[in-house]
Amino acid sequence: MQTAHKHAGDGHDHKAAPTVEEITDFEVLEIAVRELAIEHGLFTAEDHRRFTEWAESVGPGAGSRLVAKAWTDPGFRARLLEDGVKACQEIGIDWAEPTGFGTPSDYMNFRVLEDTPRLHHVIVCTLCSCYPRPVLGMSPEWYRSTNYRRRLVRWPREVLAEFGLILPPEVEIRVEDSNQKCRFMVLPVRPSGTDNWTEEELAAIVTRDCMIGVALPRRGRTADVHPVRKARRPVHSSPQHGKAAE
Amino acid sequence: MKDKKTPRAAKKTDNTPARFKVGDRVRVKDLPNLFYSRTQIYARGVSGTIAARTYQDLIPEDEAFNRDGRLEQYYIVRFRQKDLWEEYPSEKDTLQTEFPDRWLEPV
Repeated sequence: MQTAHKHAGDGHDHKAAPTVEEITDFEVLEIAVRELAIEHGLFTAEDHRRFTEWAESVGPGAGSRLVAKAWTDPGFRARLLEDGVKACQEIGIDWAEPTGFGTPSDYMNFRVLEDTPRLHHVIVCTLCSCYPRPVLGMSPEWYRSTNYRRRLVRWPREVLAEFGLILPPEVEIRVEDSNQKCRFMVLPVRPSGTDNWTEEELAAIVTRDCMIGVALPRRGRTADVHPVRKARRPVHSSPQHGKAAE
Repeated sequence: MKDKKTPRAAKKTDNTPARFKVGDRVRVKDLPNLFYSRTQIYARGVSGTIAARTYQDLIPEDEAFNRDGRLEQYYIVRFRQKDLWEEYPSEKDTLQTEFPDRWLEPV
């Protein structure tokens, strides 16, 4: 991966920066098992590519539509809270895809957690990364981090505050630690001032973070933006590169 | 592809009646961990209330090793945060998580 190369004329050697800075033991294990499985004919490289692309193409759009529909249609809201998997079929989401019984980790038990002005839900998987992928797509990196997982169960108010969500003490916070076979999504309270909005307009403010429970939908907020601060002492700084830049 | 597992949707359910109903008080057992478990340490020995009866499935301890064990009823249990973490500052806040039958005992 790191092949040294020479630039004609600029008089120095340097290593090309790898596209992936670090690879974890689990990623190495995944590659090894995948290559073995392909070698033994359990599936082909083409199958693997197609499945990966399918999995990565799923985004949080379906979840947003579920929430917008539940806000505008009381009958659908009741059906969604009663049986999440069945209600998903009404908007064309089949939890059984792509195998007929779901993916190996998206079990067919989907429960929607209904917020009220007095109750706020937030989801986490302390075990690893359980997430309602058929409706929210791949989970964000921070959702799988040990930092979020171990701290949310113990200090939920403080962690939510770090996301910019400060809830008054009279609101009950209910953490849902999703670590068996149920998958959860939060149905937030519909914000005021959205009375005449269409389902489409409503869906636009129901972002991924609102359905995890680390943000609340509000007018004009159509993307999950977290402040990004530049690291002061990045781990991969190279003195050689620093010098070259000066 | 050789697949010893039954597709989840087609699994037979166990006819044993569920031991607990919504609202029952239960305590999470503190059993030894043999190789694999999904029962979090923070919930061991803590009492809570059954919030939902979910589905029947294999227990993680069997499924992790591809063993076809007996199907068990799963429950979502609601705890007061204060019961889980002694120093927790709010009386109100709660936490829910899920367990198969064998990890629960009546209070």
